[in-house]
Amino acid sequence: MKKRQGWLFFIIFLLTLSVYLLINYPLQLGLDLQGGSQLTLQIIKEEGKVTRDELEAVNSVIDKRVNNLGVSESNLQTLGGDQLILELPGEQNPLVASRVLGKTALLEFRTQKEGTSTNLKTLQLQRLSINELIEQYSFAEKNQINDNFLKIIQDNLNDIEEELNYSSTINDLYGKLIEIKKYVNKEITNLFIKTDLSGKDLINAGRRQEQTNSNWEVLLTFSNSGGEKFAEITKSIAGTNQLLAIILDGESISEASVGNQFANTGITGGSATISGNFSAENARELEVQLKGGSLPLPIEIVETNTIGALLGSKNIFKSLYAAISGLIFVGIFMIFNYRILGFVSVLSLVLYGFFNLALYSLIPVTLTLPGISGLILSIGMAVDANILIFERIREELYDGNTLTRSIDSGFQRANSSIVDGHITTLLSCFVLFLLGTNFVKGFAATLGIGVLISLFTSLNCSKTILRFFTTYQSLRQKNLYLPRNNF
Amino acid sequence: MKYNLELIKNKKKIIGFSSVLILLSLLGILYSTFNTSYKKPINLGMDFVGGNELRIERVCDDECSNFSPDLVLENLKEISKNKKVFNNIKLQFQNNNKLISIRTPYLSIEESNNLISNLEIIVGPLNYESKESRLIGPKLGKRLLTNSVTSLMVSLFAISLYITIRFDKKYALLALLALFHDLLIVFGIFSWLGIILSVEVNSLFAVSLLTIAGYSVNDTVVIFDRIRENLKSNKEGYNETIQLSVNESFRRTTFTSITTLMPLLSIIFFGSYSLFWFSLALSLGIIIGSYSSILLAPSLLLKD
Repeated sequence: MKKRQGWLFFIIFLLTLSVYLLINYPLQLGLDLQGGSQLTLQIIKEEGKVTRDELEAVNSVIDKRVNNLGVSESNLQTLGGDQLILELPGEQNPLVASRVLGKTALLEFRTQKEGTSTNLKTLQLQRLSINELIEQYSFAEKNQINDNFLKIIQDNLNDIEEELNYSSTINDLYGKLIEIKKYVNKEITNLFIKTDLSGKDLINAGRRQEQTNSNWEVLLTFSNSGGEKFAEITKSIAGTNQLLAIILDGESISEASVGNQFANTGITGGSATISGNFSAENARELEVQLKGGSLPLPIEIVETNTIGALLGSKNIFKSLYAAISGLIFVGIFMIFNYRILGFVSVLSLVLYGFFNLALYSLIPVTLTLPGISGLILSIGMAVDANILIFERIREELYDGNTLTRSIDSGFQRANSSIVDGHITTLLSCFVLFLLGTNFVKGFAATLGIGVLISLFTSLNCSKTILRFFTTYQSLRQKNLYLPRNNF
Repeated sequence: MKYNLELIKNKKKIIGFSSVLILLSLLGILYSTFNTSYKKPINLGMDFVGGNELRIERVCDDECSNFSPDLVLENLKEISKNKKVFNNIKLQFQNNNKLISIRTPYLSIEESNNLISNLEIIVGPLNYESKESRLIGPKLGKRLLTNSVTSLMVSLFAISLYITIRFDKKYALLALLALFHDLLIVFGIFSWLGIILSVEVNSLFAVSLLTIAGYSVNDTVVIFDRIRENLKSNKEGYNETIQLSVNESFRRTTFTSITTLMPLLSIIFFGSYSLFWFSLALSLGIIIGSYSSILLAPSLLLKD
């Protein structure tokens, strides 16, 4: 009896501890419960597996970019060796994040090949006309102008395509415009030769509005060695008709000449500006990308989930309803069938609930919808252990054994079945957790934790509470344990 | 005891019933593989094939006005830059025209946002706080499918291994037979649901199959444990002992199923939409699992 009393105090202690934990360390809610967006980024590598170092490198670049974007409380984690998961809680638009994160942002400085001036001029003019067509298109789009206007754009574009000797395979007009613009920018890049100056030589980036018009420009600050390289390069082409191109991900975004006055020293001071028709938004995105550095491997956004905040809080309420009504139904069922024993199981279920939630806040487990369904399902499994034990106790009682003995052997004889059942479920959870996606992991974690705790609550807590009850003479009548109508 | 299932008498009926269920399931799987537009044993959802799923509520004063989905799609197509979105699009109004749900092939976030703002022009204001959107690339879809199938295989293997170590060959074989019986029937039901109601399965379906596997084996193990225990103190004949053991465990198995079903039914009725089919699959699995552990597996153990 002494030993059991010890257990009773231990259980009360655990319960107090759980309540304390829950008050001081509130549960973390997943995005499907609080609203927000989740992006899955896949690292693309043509050959071989992504190594741990590469994953780390990509992770750190993305992390820097996310921080520079200024999204609040974002959370970035790696998944399965070649994926990253970015969570943006609240009503933050994933669009900007996806644009900024998805680009490799490899910055290069190149000098023009000799004798390509005419070529370059033609391409630059073509780029200019395409930009104009894009503007016209957006205008037509906004003002719902009739199809004739679009037809003119289409015809102009066809002319350019003919000049370029390139035709786009995309069907819709807008997509075509964008693709041909890219093509022209790449063609321009081909007229330039690589130098050893690149995005790696930057220590900072910024942006400001141009004084002459409303466009924005991006400011680059080089490291010491970068500044020297930049001076060297500009010196080599100063006063010639060769241009310096700034190239981002293979597309030339700006070409500039270097004046004769720099022929002796090159452009010194360790900084440069890119002015390539940037809108405020574009300039900011480029700034963030350059600050974070270029990605060592390209990434692709393979999954985006967005849940509105209202929907999130609805989900919480629905889950609460489901969990509580489930518990109440189970409680009524148990008390109806097992009387005092049923009441004991309800008490141990309540303990079970508290221990579970406390562990979630301790580990911590982020609670998601599948996670909650794992918890609700594990309630059913926790009761299962109780039912196994109670059925045995009933049998012993019917065989005419004393209450204490029946309880003892009931627990003892149900033991092996309970352990078996829990192990098979744990096996499933373990596999799910190892191989599953984020979504599935939530379910596996809560179900697995539930099954483990249920081993303790059903085998130990139920027994302790039952023993405590049976110390009172008035609670020891057999008819409190056996409904009279059976048998 | 009070329960008296005549297992010995009804052995043939039970085996016949299970055979019919299995045949129907196989039929559904075959029909689904060869005679549907998707040509797969089961209608794979966008978790596995990629795509864009969008649900958003409208802001209406009293009642939401009625729109024909086809007309909305036509108008949408007219004002959209990107026509590729409309190759394979499905649009539905639910919940008294309040909720709009759209399925398209994979779109970028930008394309998806454009789609919503165009939709707003046509059907009126939308409540962005109630928006739910999922975009899954086709590459990730394939990977999720492989992952789900692998986890299913690995855990079935692990469970089989555990059972074989824990029991004699005969018991282990029958427990596994009952397990595959349960999984096949649940799978078959969802094949049929895919054919008739175009219900799709996503990664949570794979999770439900795994959970059913654990549950079904557990149920069978409890009854086999009882049979073994009773056979040791063999007073009556072999077949009679089995029947007695089943009747002794009957209360426990049905009670456990009921207490597990209760929370699941709560999720079906009160829980979030995204968990509906998941809970249904689990509920079906538990019902079929209980049937196979009480009636099928012990019947197969009976000697002629």
